[in-house]
Formats: sequence, structure tokens, C-alpha cells
Amino acid sequence: MNATTGRSNPLWTVLAVLYAFAILFPVIWMASMMFKPADVMFARPTVFLFTPTLEHFDYVIELGFVWNLLTSFLLCTISTALVVLIGTPAAYAFARFEMRGKDDLFLFILASRMGPPVCLVIPFYLIFAKIGLIDTFAGLTLAYMTFNLSFYVWVLRSFCRDLPVELEEAAALEGWSRPQIFRRVVFPLLRNGIVATAVLCFIFAWNEFLFAFMLGGKTVQTLPVAIPKLITSQGVRWGEMAVVGIVALVPVLAVVIALQRHIVRGLTLGAVKG
Amino acid sequence: MKIGNSAVIALSMAALLAGSSSAALAADFSYAEAAKPYAGKTIRVLDEVTPLQEVLAKIVPEFTKETGIKVEYELLNHGEVINKGQADMLSGRGYYDAVMLHGFQMGQMLEAKALRPIDDLVKNPALSNAKLETADFIEKPYKTVAFHEGQQYGFINWNYNTVYWTRADLMGDASEKTAFKAKYGYDLAPAKTIEQMRDIAEFFTRKKGEALAGQPLASDFYGITFEGIKGQGALFNFVSNILRNYGGDIIDADGKPTFDSPATVEALKMYADLWKFAPPGTAEYSLIDVPTVMGNGIAAQAIAFSDFVLGVDKPGASPLAGKFTYGAIPVKAGMDSKFASADAEPSLTVISANSQNPEPTFLFLQWLVEKKQQEALLDAGAGGVPVRESSWAMPVMNDGNLKPLFGAMKASLQVAQAKPRMPLYLEIADALSAVVQKVGLRQLTPEQGAKEGQKVLVGLCDAKCTL
Amino acid sequence: MAAVTDTAMSQPAPRIRKERFWYPYLLIAPTMITLVIVSLIPFLYAIYLSFHKAKYGRVGDFIWFDNYAGLLADERFWSAISTAGIFVAIAVPVEFMLGLAGAMVLNHGVRGRSVLVPLLFIPTMMAPIVVGLLWKIMLAGSWGFISYNVLERFGILGETSIFASPHLALGALIFVDIWQWTPFMMLAFFAGLQALPLGPYRAAAVDGANGAQIFFRLTLPMMSPLLAVIGLLRLIDAFKVFDTVFILTGGGPGIATESPSVLAYKMTFEFWNIGEASALAVLVWIAFFVFCNAFYQIAKKRLNAF
Repeated sequence: MNATTGRSNPLWTVLAVLYAFAILFPVIWMASMMFKPADVMFARPTVFLFTPTLEHFDYVIELGFVWNLLTSFLLCTISTALVVLIGTPAAYAFARFEMRGKDDLFLFILASRMGPPVCLVIPFYLIFAKIGLIDTFAGLTLAYMTFNLSFYVWVLRSFCRDLPVELEEAAALEGWSRPQIFRRVVFPLLRNGIVATAVLCFIFAWNEFLFAFMLGGKTVQTLPVAIPKLITSQGVRWGEMAVVGIVALVPVLAVVIALQRHIVRGLTLGAVKG
Repeated sequence: MKIGNSAVIALSMAALLAGSSSAALAADFSYAEAAKPYAGKTIRVLDEVTPLQEVLAKIVPEFTKETGIKVEYELLNHGEVINKGQADMLSGRGYYDAVMLHGFQMGQMLEAKALRPIDDLVKNPALSNAKLETADFIEKPYKTVAFHEGQQYGFINWNYNTVYWTRADLMGDASEKTAFKAKYGYDLAPAKTIEQMRDIAEFFTRKKGEALAGQPLASDFYGITFEGIKGQGALFNFVSNILRNYGGDIIDADGKPTFDSPATVEALKMYADLWKFAPPGTAEYSLIDVPTVMGNGIAAQAIAFSDFVLGVDKPGASPLAGKFTYGAIPVKAGMDSKFASADAEPSLTVISANSQNPEPTFLFLQWLVEKKQQEALLDAGAGGVPVRESSWAMPVMNDGNLKPLFGAMKASLQVAQAKPRMPLYLEIADALSAVVQKVGLRQLTPEQGAKEGQKVLVGLCDAKCTL
Repeated sequence: MAAVTDTAMSQPAPRIRKERFWYPYLLIAPTMITLVIVSLIPFLYAIYLSFHKAKYGRVGDFIWFDNYAGLLADERFWSAISTAGIFVAIAVPVEFMLGLAGAMVLNHGVRGRSVLVPLLFIPTMMAPIVVGLLWKIMLAGSWGFISYNVLERFGILGETSIFASPHLALGALIFVDIWQWTPFMMLAFFAGLQALPLGPYRAAAVDGANGAQIFFRLTLPMMSPLLAVIGLLRLIDAFKVFDTVFILTGGGPGIATESPSVLAYKMTFEFWNIGEASALAVLVWIAFFVFCNAFYQIAKKRLNAF
């Protein structure tokens, strides 16, 4: 296994790049639509070369998509942070300890993700309407827990299983308290699992539509909820849609790029194990 | 001559009198005065986003300036307005005071008693502007959408309608004209009848490599395009634009299903014929596709909502901008003009039964449909779909190259009506559109389609489908 | 796995599991309380609604199992279930295999990995509605990029288009799902591979094990918890597929691509038959619960995955 040495293999590199290009072609095509004048957007024969225009950006800016982008970013960050805060101890507990009825409790967590959201959104709406949580940050943050908390606990638990119990035991022998062990031994070891799972949760939240639409409103309007405005009875604003679709990738890409060094193995884990 | 002169004088006298009396009345009503008790209140209004409403959103602050009533005017996409507006009204949350409602939603919402009738407000002299000129509203859509069993639920705010849309450059091409005449025995021109539309569709359906207006085609070309994706849009394109012109309908005057009539079989035959000359993807075509197909020169004719055109036939939006022409929805040849029908979706802004502010909301709705606002709206939007007869005469509707389009709209709106008040409208549309789509795809014969459709209808609402 | 960790132990240590009994419950309490509030209560409310006539979201008469009976007798419901079944049966295994293979390749060391990983991940990052429109742009009948430049140019389809033909439409939706979610599997598995302890690999290298042996004896067993969890979660999500279907076919032609979620959407937002939609939610939920329970027990015993 090269995993130990980290040497790269040119054949794999070429394959990976080719694969990336193949799956990204539609995205690249859409990116080109950001700058494509409307009258050649779907011209036949297909127009590959055109004089780029920036007109599609004007409308997107005018409509205040920047604000939607900020709302989405804030909401997803807060809800993901909460999920990490609440879910990490639970995942750890399920991996490490014996509990009475552990299996049932664990399945209960997953059960919260089983019902189709389309069916549950109206019960949510009716309850939220009664207690005044519609169109609030708190309401949506709560609603996002239904699908993200269960995902997080389940996935992170399988990362927890790889933690070497000996280190914790050694720390316990040193007389460290429980919270100390968790913070100074478990958490650093679990970091790449936490980051990877949190990134996935962030993306689920980022792209969520139905809850954001029904339980949000004028005050809290996320980006996915704003996108359908570009499908009007005068047809689709394709250029603008391409702008929003591609620009919406930027924050998520930034998050992944910023955090990927935590996902990719650092030296710490190997050193500890060695 | 003398008689004529005196008649003119008499008329102008009458006009003067009318003018002075209306001036007196107008002095009696002003929005500022009527709104005094409600100044500082906030009302929330949900509307559907189109470029015209975006213009409207910029006019709305004028109302606040005039009355002191604050308006939170929210725009969402078509489907979102329906989902969110209905959820708000049906759940009793009452966040929105007023919600835009399409004619087809009325059956459900009336049955659910979610709407507040406005008759008391209309009759209240402190709130109602006697000079609103409701007689100026384009009559049939207004009368069929805003009233139910003697009660009024709003005015009319949007007049979505379908038109016949074709290519002027192809219709005027000399070689095509000669060939068409030789084949069909009459002159090639934009279709007035459904039969002509079919002939033109057949005539222009060509394969890659064949010539079109003297040029070899780089790709396949089709005679006609329309919405065919399963759902109410495609269904009522068939029902209102074809079936009714054939004298048939889905229900009779009492609301009983009548889909298995001979007229349905004939209309379905024509419909299946038109599918033959439409692009192979018709069964997936929605409002996303039809404007794209027409705007990029893939088809010669379309039956489509006139809004689509506003987004396509303008410089920079399509390589063919300026080369289109429009007409009324073609009728069945030889039928009495009383059967003439065009699909439309007249829509109104209703006051929610849960609204805490019906009076200021009413003032706003009334203000919206005032001639002044309507004209400002059409002016700012460089034309659009009007709700008032008098708007047809505006310069913006006559000066531009879209004049044929506005003429076509006018013709469509003359015969257009709101959808019947069926509480199960969407169940019916969902099930029946699947049947009609199958006829288009040739999975059912027209006879089977009529029978199957009737079975579906009877299964949903046996004796009476309407309220 | 146990053997692996045991070799690293130098001396017997006090078993950490013998903690005060309430400690683990304390750790899981915030999660449990949150889920009871945000998930159990709305779900119980849905169960309550499912036993009532709840047209227009207004709770009417208690009608026992009428909503359920109506659903179970509706061939449309069964069609939706089987459509989703086919969808899941093809899409999820393909996503799983491709994702695992991709993760292995990335793990082997690929030049420019820090650039490649975020790029490969893009399909999963896109909003589902944008994914739907993106593939409409590619595959729409006559005007889609691929429809025009490939299908029409070489006369591949002729009389129909992809989304207008029942089998092709379902196939295309499966393809789009694979496109969208393989990167998700890949990233999750890649992170899992990166988190594996290195010790066992070093030991295996010393023993002179070959690649296949290492994969089947070391990597697969150590990865099995994550593989099982991610596979199961993806399966649940794929069954609930909604956005792409809604945009690309609307469930048609006919009801050929109508998934349970699309059907539920119509029941909810078009027909406003909330009682019946809630019954559908409960049925889907029960089916999943039974399935997940069985999966969990088997995976726990056979694969030591939980």
C-alpha cells in the first residue's frame, strides 16, 4: 500500500483527472452560460465561442442573492456547529460504552431520518405556525437537526470505533478527568472524522430546499429557496440561474478546501500509532 | 350634417356633465382619506414573480406614500406561491393578508372557506372608490374568476392567457407559399382554424438536410410545439384550446363528467395528430421547454402562454426576435363562434379569511387595479398582459413590434374564462392529463382515451365535480 | 480489529468501560432530547393526522385506518414504491462501488489531490434544483446539449426523447443520481481510509502481504462500519428521491418515474390530503424501520460493523 509512503502514481493521476473532467463537463458547460448572451444560449448549431457578457450578473445582484448567500452561510454554519457540539459526545458514547438498550436508542436516532420530508413538512409547519417559529433562524436550525443530527451521530460513530482505547486508558491512569480525556485525547484523534462528517452535514444543510422553503420566509430565505424565482412564467432566466448555481458552489468549495487538510491524514495519527 | 353636429354637441354636453359629476365623486373618495384609520398598519401580500410583478414591486411604495399603510410585498415563484399561500390560508396561520390565487385554485379554497368575500368592503362608501370603473375590466375573465355564487372575492390582477405563435419569416417565404398552395390548395398564412394549424404543422415538419425557406436544415425541424408534461398545464392546453373549440368539455353545465362525448374523440384525434408534428420530447415539455424551442428555431408554430413570448421576442433574447407573429387561438372550422375558446388563467389577489387587516388590504387591492396604476405598470414594463379594456389603446401596446402579440392576447381574452370551481381540480388534472398524454404518445386510441378519461372523472366526482 | 488493537497494547490497563453507569447517558442526552423535540413530536403528530380525515390540513373525524386502507389499495402507491425500489437497487450499489473505487484511488496517492478532491466533490455540493436544471440543459428533448449534439446527430433515439420515454426516463434519473451522489460516497470513504490506523498496514508490509490480501483482510474489515453506515444512509435518502424527478419528469410519462416523495408532494401540496400523506409517511417509515433493524442486526453479527 502506498498509503504508508504517500507516493503518487502517474497512472492513477491521469485516470482521476480524466474522470474529473468527464463528470465535471456539465458543470463547466453551465459555468460558460454565466457569460453567454441569451440569444446564443441554446442556439443550433451549438455556439461554443461567443463574446462574453456580464449582464446576467446584474439581475442576480439586483435581486439580492448576496443576501440569500449570507443567510444560507450563517444558517448552515450555525446548524452544523450545533450538530457537532451535540452529536460528538453521543457518537463517542455509542462507540465506547455499554448501555442498556443501546441498539434501540441508536436505531431511534436513525429513525428520525426515515420519513419522507415531504410528508413531515406540513406537520412541522402546523406546529411551527402555532408556536411562532416560522421564518426564524431558530426554527430552521431546529428543523435541520432532523436530518443532520442523525446522520452525524451515525457516521461519526464509525470513526470513533477506530480510536485506540489504550490512549484513553493511559490518560485515565495519569489521573485525567473525563472531560480532560475527551478534550485532549479523544477530540484530537477524532478530528478528521469530525471534520469530514461536519462537511457532509454542511452540504446537506446548504442544499436543503423543502424545510427552508416552508418554514423560512422573507426574513430567513436561503439560497435554494431563492433559485426558483429564476423560473418565471416568461421562461427560465438561464444565465442568471448559471450564475447562482456556480456562485453557490464557492462557499462550499471554500469550506472543503479550508478543511480538507484535516480530512487528509496528518502526521499525528501515524505518529501516535507508531 | 346638422343632426350630426347636434349629436356631437349633445354628446360633449353629456361628457361635461359626467366629467363634473365624476369630479364631485372623486373628491368624495381619496385613498389618503380612506386610509386614515389604518395609517401605520402593515399588510403582507404574496404574489407570483414575473418581470411584470417586479415592476409592480417598484410601484407599491407609492401606495405607502399615499396612504401611510405599509405593504410587505413578497414575490415567489409560481409553484411556491401556490404551496406557501395555500398552506398559510388553510392552516389558519394568517401571516399573509392577501395572496395571489390562480383561477384553478378557487375551487379548493372556496370549499375550504379560506377566502374572505369582499362584498361588504365594496359596499362601504368609506372604503370603496365609486370611480374604480370595474366595467372596464376585461369582462369574461373578471366575471368568471372573481365571483362565486353571488359573492365577490377580489378584482382581477393577472390575465395569463394563451396565444397562437408562429414564424412570420416562414409564413412569408415565397417558395414555401408556392409549395404549400400546391399541396393544400389554399394560401399559407398564420392559422385561423385548428385544421389549418394541423396542415401547417404537417407541412413544416422536416428532417435534417431538407430545405426550409430555401436553406438546408442543420437539424430536425418540427411543425408545432406545446406543453405535454403531465399536469394541469398540458391538460388545459388540450381542453380549453382544442376540446372546447370542438364543442366538448370535461364537465357539463351541472358539473357532471362528459368526457366520453363524440366531440372528445374528434378533439383527441386532432390532438394526437398534432403530437406527430411536435418534437419527440413533447411528453417532457413544460414551460421551461416551449419558449426555448420556439426561441431557438426548432418549431414553426406554438400554442403557448403569451408571457413566454414576452421573454423571448425581444432583442438579445432570441436569434429570431422580431421574426415572430401571433394570432388568436385557432378555432375549429365551421363551428359556431360561441364555442370559440382559449386557455387562460385569470388570477386575483384574495383576502385571506384569517387576515386581521381586511380594510387596509382591500384599499391596497383596489388601488392596484386602478387605471392609473395599471397604466403605469404596463408603461414601465414596456407592455404586458392587461386586465383593463382601456389598456389596449395605450401607446405602449400599439407602437412596438409586439403589436400583433397584444392583438392576439385581446382576441384570446375575449373568449377566455377562469377554470371551473372544482375542489378536486388538481386530482382531476393529474389523472386526466395522464390519459390525454397517453393519447398523444399513442399508447391509447382517441376512443379509448375518451372512455378512460370519463372513467377517471367519474371515479373522482360522480355526480358533480364543481362546487 | 480486536486483534489489531491488542497487539498494540503493552500492558493490561483498567477497562475504561467500567465508568459510572450514568456517564454515557449524559453524553447522549442532548442528542436524544433534541431528536425527541424535532423529530419524534412532529412524527407523532403525523401519526395522529394519519388516523384522521385531514383534508386541507384541518383535522377532521377520526377514521381509524381508512387513510392506510386507501393507500394500500391504490396501485399508484405500489407503483411509486416499486419505482423507488428499482431506483435504489441500481443507483446505490453503483454509487457504492464507484465511490469506494474512487476513494481507493485517491488514497493511493494522486498528484494534485488537494485540488482534485474539492473538484470531484462538486456534483454533491450543487443544490438539487440546480442539478435538475443542469441535466435538463444536457438532456432535454431536441434542445438539450447532449440530445442535440449526440442523440440527434447520430440518430440514436428518433421518435422519442429521454425524459418522454418511460424506461429511458427512469434510467436517466438513476444516472443523474449516480452523478450527484458518487462523490459523496467517495469523500466519505476517502475520509474513512485516511482515518484508518497505520500500524496494521506496517505489520502486513513486514509480513509481505500482497495488495488483494491487504484489501480483503485489512482495509475492508476495518472500513466495514463506515461502509455499512454510509451505504444505509444513502439507501434511505435515495428512496426518498424528489427534486430531480420533480424538475426533469414531474413523475411522468404517466406515472413511470413517480417516486413516493413525488406522490406525497402531490398529496400534500396539490390535493391537500394531509391525512393520506401522513399515512404514506408512516408506511414508508415502518418499512424502513423494519429494514434498518434487520440490516443492523445482521451487520452487527456478520460484519462486526456496529
